[in-house]
Amino acid sequence: MTVIDELRQAVVDGQLKPAVAKVEQGLAEGTEAGRLLTEGLIAAMAQVGQLYEEGEIFVPEMLVAARAMTAALGVLKPHLLEEGVEAAGTVAIGTVQGDLHDIGKNLVAMMLEGSGFEIMDLGVDVPAERFVQAIREGANVVAMSALLTTTMTNMREIIQAITDAGLRDQASIVIGGAPITKTYADEIGADGYATDASGAVRVVREVLAA
Amino acid sequence: MPLLRAPGGGLVNVDLQPVGRRVQVAPGSTVLEAAQLAGVQLVAVCGGLGTCGTCRVRAVDGRLGEETEEERTWLDGSERAQGWRLACQTRVVGAVRLEIPPESLSTPQRLQTEGLSVDFELDPAVIAIDLALAPPSLEDLRADTRRLLEGLAAAGAPGTSVELRVAASSSDRLRDQHWQGRAAVRRRPDGTGDLVCIRPPKEPLLGLAVDTGTTKLAAYLVDLAGGHTLARAGAMNPQIVYGEDVVTRVTYANTSPDAARLLHERLVGEIDNLVGVLCAQAGARRDQIVDAVVVGNTVMHHFVTGLPVRQLGEAPYISAVSDAVVAGAAEIGLRLAGGAAVYLPPNIAAYVGSDHVAMLLATGLADTEETVLALDIGTNTEISLAHKGVIWSCSTASGPAFEGAHIHDGMRAAPGAIEHVRFRNGAFQVQTVEAQAPVGICGSGIVDAIAAALDAGIIDERGSLAKDHPLVSRSSGKPTCLLVPAARTGHGRDVVFTRSDVNEVQLAKGAIRAGTELLLQEAGLCASNLDRVVVAGAFGTYLDLQSAIRVGLLVDVDRHRYHQVGNAAGRGAEQLLLSRERRAVADRLAMRVRYVELTVNRSFTDVFAAALSFGTELGRAEERG
Repeated sequence: MTVIDELRQAVVDGQLKPAVAKVEQGLAEGTEAGRLLTEGLIAAMAQVGQLYEEGEIFVPEMLVAARAMTAALGVLKPHLLEEGVEAAGTVAIGTVQGDLHDIGKNLVAMMLEGSGFEIMDLGVDVPAERFVQAIREGANVVAMSALLTTTMTNMREIIQAITDAGLRDQASIVIGGAPITKTYADEIGADGYATDASGAVRVVREVLAA
Repeated sequence: MPLLRAPGGGLVNVDLQPVGRRVQVAPGSTVLEAAQLAGVQLVAVCGGLGTCGTCRVRAVDGRLGEETEEERTWLDGSERAQGWRLACQTRVVGAVRLEIPPESLSTPQRLQTEGLSVDFELDPAVIAIDLALAPPSLEDLRADTRRLLEGLAAAGAPGTSVELRVAASSSDRLRDQHWQGRAAVRRRPDGTGDLVCIRPPKEPLLGLAVDTGTTKLAAYLVDLAGGHTLARAGAMNPQIVYGEDVVTRVTYANTSPDAARLLHERLVGEIDNLVGVLCAQAGARRDQIVDAVVVGNTVMHHFVTGLPVRQLGEAPYISAVSDAVVAGAAEIGLRLAGGAAVYLPPNIAAYVGSDHVAMLLATGLADTEETVLALDIGTNTEISLAHKGVIWSCSTASGPAFEGAHIHDGMRAAPGAIEHVRFRNGAFQVQTVEAQAPVGICGSGIVDAIAAALDAGIIDERGSLAKDHPLVSRSSGKPTCLLVPAARTGHGRDVVFTRSDVNEVQLAKGAIRAGTELLLQEAGLCASNLDRVVVAGAFGTYLDLQSAIRVGLLVDVDRHRYHQVGNAAGRGAEQLLLSRERRAVADRLAMRVRYVELTVNRSFTDVFAAALSFGTELGRAEERG
């Protein structure tokens, strides 16, 4: 196995320290940071996503894999900047105003980051103005999460605020969270909706390709 | 908006079977709305959003509206071919007769009403003062209330006030009883008091204690002088048809002032029904009930008192009122003695309510100098840690898995639910509620099943099912483990658990364990420092400790340190009826508790991720931290 294969396996298995060690080893051996990213981390997260969709692994495994990936990416990032590796897109992600739940949102952010996207993590309890500002700062995808039926209604208002700011055509909007359905996403005029973190990556790719 | 009455349009008949209820609704209403209107309680875990798939129904005569995306998600091809639909999604388009299978009904369940006892001095807020008044005469023209209040002062209750409604009912009664009688006086902290009612001489004064759960209500009738529980009764919370968890009910209440009022009235109406049941059991009269204590989570507290709930549903999650409340029973909608009041103890936070305060009282956490951990496990799990007189509390979203929801063959603890599981000689052995043929698994059963499967090597640390094990199959496409084969079940289908069920339990136990670990962290302690661990609530009572420790739900300390105490909140409510000192402790307790908000705690995600594993991840996480 090459160091890239070992890196990929460590991430899929959720082994944080070995994943970091393999990035360091790869860099020391002169492997390009861009290859460690695409063939190592991005390939690993694609495999994790596929295993999840096949019902082989679940959120717990996905979460530990994503944490291993994030740690490895932290080491890799300065080298990617040096090499000038471009992100696939910039996603502004946050849990909507009134809602403090961030585990699902963080998992989606990590899966997207591990799929080559630049992430602007706006955190939790994010007001409409902050999403609007993120588009002005260059986000071309807005991803919103809500875990409560009481707070999901704020998504509609945030989309309205983005439209009112004249920015609706500058960013695609995707939503998710336990109470969200396809019908609701259509009703409030979101461009995409996903039931889980793996689906979120696919949806973001789709809306950017559209 | 539900179209229950179409303008100018005709209504159509909806016939609900086998429950045998009929209702007329406007075309376009959902089947769930029709069932709610007919008073048929369907399981609606998600509150009718189409995200849980629990409210299955089927048209046996007539037809229904078009299938929705959500129905295609939750029902597989063969189920749809058999005509199964989701009641919350399907719209009524014409007259229709529907079949509602038993699993879609919120069926009567085993209700938990026993508890434990803690010593305290009997000193109820409302006491009896026996009176023998001089009848009025031409020489003594004092008004009835003046005569009464002076008589009370002479009998040891000076400074008592009487409100108009109580005065109005007293004149005839005093004459009927020939100026003899027993006065019920509610004592104020300043030494004065309020007259609650006049009762016949020597009649015992009674108190009502109620624990208002999101799912279940438990009520107790208590003899105030002797401290005995005379009767107990339980009922389902009737709000359940508007959503199974508190957040969906807040969402429903937010739709209109009428909806909020409806939720208040349904809840108080059911408590009032329970009062009738208790009185019938004990051979008592409503007018004998001179005091009441109601505990519940903060959302239920707000629904009972008619306080606004909107601000509880959105961050930063604020209670309208957190201090103890004393409100007129009549004002709330309870038919008790004329001047009876309802005491509601303080709540700690939006998701740590007065039921938890009552539980802390009943289990002695409020008074202890020991190091004690107390958990009340439910859809939301409240956890408190007492150490050297300081109490830390948190609330964690453990989800409905332990109530049987989101579990493939999950159900509540109703007859036929598997409640205990062992693995012997290569096969699972199960025990069911009331020894009926198994039809599903309840919370304690699923924890047992997973613990047994871990020991048998069927599940690994990460929760994956062993592909090569004879009980594991992928015939339905998803990894599944057979618990009871179709030949031995009550409905002729296999009872299984799936990889997805294991995941639900991982998420639930991970949340509870992470909450526990973070409280220990706040206090600078580890599990081995715990002198006692108290597990309250119905699920906690039937839970097998060994299994709960095996799956990592509970900390691994000596089993003798564990106390499974049942409905401690109900016992706490009784204590609050019987002791003014307990009320004073409760009033101070909410101020003393250090509330820990987990969602903004920086290490929560890491500890939670570690707590998802069935292995030793958590230990390693602690080393890292």
